[in-house]
Amino acid sequence: MELKTLSQMIGDLEEDQVLEMLNTFVSSNPSQEDAQKVVNACQEGMGIVGELFEKGEYFVGDLIFAGELLTAAMDVLKLVMDSSGEEKTGTIVLGTAHGDLHDISKNIFKSMAQAAGFEVYDLEIDQSASEFVEKVKEVQLDIVGMSGVLTLAIDAMKDTVEALVEAGLRNEVKVIIRGNPVTKESCEHIGADAFTTNAAEGVKICQGWVKQYVRC
Amino acid sequence: MSDVKVLQDPKELQEERTSIFHDVYFNNKIPKRVPVSLSLPFEAIAEFGELDIVEAQWNSAIAEETADKLCQTLYSDVNPFSGSLRFPSFYQALKSQSFVMGSNGFFQHPEVVGMLDEEYDYLIEKPYDCLLEKVIPRQYKALDLNDPVNMAISFAKSLLGFTNDFMTSGQLGGKLTEKYGYYAGGLLSGGFTEAPFDFLADQLRSFKGVSMDVRRMPEKVAEACEALYPIVFKKGLPANITRESTVFIPLHMPTFMREKDFAKLWWPSFKKMLDEYASMGVHASIFCEDDWTRYLDYLYELPTDTIMMFEYGDAKKIKEKLGKKHIITGLYPVTMLKTHTKQQCIDKAKEMVDILAPGGKYVFGLDKHPLSIGDVNMENFCAVAEYVRDYAVYSNIGETAGLQFNKEDYKVLPSRRLESKYFKRWDQYKVENPRVSDFGAPKLQGYEEMIFQYLIFLLL
Repeated sequence: MELKTLSQMIGDLEEDQVLEMLNTFVSSNPSQEDAQKVVNACQEGMGIVGELFEKGEYFVGDLIFAGELLTAAMDVLKLVMDSSGEEKTGTIVLGTAHGDLHDISKNIFKSMAQAAGFEVYDLEIDQSASEFVEKVKEVQLDIVGMSGVLTLAIDAMKDTVEALVEAGLRNEVKVIIRGNPVTKESCEHIGADAFTTNAAEGVKICQGWVKQYVRC
Repeated sequence: MSDVKVLQDPKELQEERTSIFHDVYFNNKIPKRVPVSLSLPFEAIAEFGELDIVEAQWNSAIAEETADKLCQTLYSDVNPFSGSLRFPSFYQALKSQSFVMGSNGFFQHPEVVGMLDEEYDYLIEKPYDCLLEKVIPRQYKALDLNDPVNMAISFAKSLLGFTNDFMTSGQLGGKLTEKYGYYAGGLLSGGFTEAPFDFLADQLRSFKGVSMDVRRMPEKVAEACEALYPIVFKKGLPANITRESTVFIPLHMPTFMREKDFAKLWWPSFKKMLDEYASMGVHASIFCEDDWTRYLDYLYELPTDTIMMFEYGDAKKIKEKLGKKHIITGLYPVTMLKTHTKQQCIDKAKEMVDILAPGGKYVFGLDKHPLSIGDVNMENFCAVAEYVRDYAVYSNIGETAGLQFNKEDYKVLPSRRLESKYFKRWDQYKVENPRVSDFGAPKLQGYEEMIFQYLIFLLL
């Protein structure tokens, strides 16, 4: 299979062609090594989607489509992947802030983070500070991601960060926030490490963090 | 904070306010001053009076004192108490999935799917039947078609809540409008509907679902918008049309779409809808959510004197492109009221007025409502409102403001009628009930219309 073509097809969001290519690939009984190369090519395709979004050629609707396409692609590839050998880029827990039920942006980020190789624990919507804390205690996590559309989410996110501090877990994880009301000022007020209003950029920030860990 | 208003005769104030709004909206004239249109949502008003917001949403009458206090605190030419569109009495009685109160007491609209992709053909063939049989029961779990008696009871309870709560909050608003002499029109005083594509997206296919459909089955999406057109058009049409009739349409999906998808799928049915309203003399008031900079050329094409509320974008560019034809409002960043000093907030108001007021066709407003009272510093908010009232006065009062609206300029091809076994016109009713008195026509047709309005409101 021409890996560059596959990446480009994903970048172009050519769903039928991508799935046809992958189904053909899977039916050829490929090696683990080849399958991993194809996974990487899919992730590169998502990189192209992210770039087109940043350039203003793609919009949120396209990111949603890309996320679904990638999930479908991975479902096909799982048939030939040995999951025990999969290497995870890092682990993230995600949820919308307490009181906030808006999860579209969280879901876009989730699929893009998974595409980049992160293991994602999704707490879903309207999550209290203690639920985030419990998850951080329960699982070895690198990153806590919170999102919200309502301005009220700002206070709820701040409560969560403070709860992490109180539980002595704040230094164990990086915290990234996203959503409509999020700005540099609110990020400082909340005590998060980073903020974004762009899922592709958010994934890059997370990748930067886990690379740092490796260097340490 | 102002006490000017309460010292004046409310009737005189109301006349002045009506005159400045009508000059901008309907008379194409430069008004005496820029109208100030500021209001707070119900939850924020309850918080302003330190009421329990959940209790207040169940019993809106308890908000009277705090709403009155707000009227005395914040200057506005429209009533700052705008009521609410989302009372729990009618959503919770129906076990709504699409309007849910969060743990903080604020109603929200989660991402929900009311129509499956394989149901497009049925929607296209029988749109109203599909909404009533498939979509509403999915979004409102108490309307369970397999439990008809409880369903009927839940429906009746919800309808009673809908009627009573809107009446209570409407009466409260009306009382304050008269007491303080506010302009009685405004953004939410006329009809209310959505663009056909947004209606399809919000509660039928969901944000995610429609984003997939745009690429997977664009022709079905286009046909669905056409099929929904008569329903959303009828929903927004004011019951009695006068030269001051308006319809409010918040716009949702365009900024999340590529222009080519927007041009092909979102725009045509919306443009037709506004042309048809204009042909009847109804002015549309649209909220351009997010940043519409890349769509300004499209907006220009809408009927003259469309009232356009913007959230983000370059005020200069918007004024330059649209200001002679359309009425601009919004754009003042609500976040500033919390994060900046009083002087900085006033300076921003001056900047907005200096750009947007010249030539008329401008109403001062925020880019969006503050959601919670904690989102604004009231002192800054009041200072900005009073500054605009005093600063934004015109010297060329009564001059022509720009392009003139004429309803005769708008013609649209007739679209399909609303035909459904669930919506009966009087002539159909009479065939089935030949002995019915014609005196019953306005009453029975009125109920039919009321049920239609209520059912479609559940999906807005």
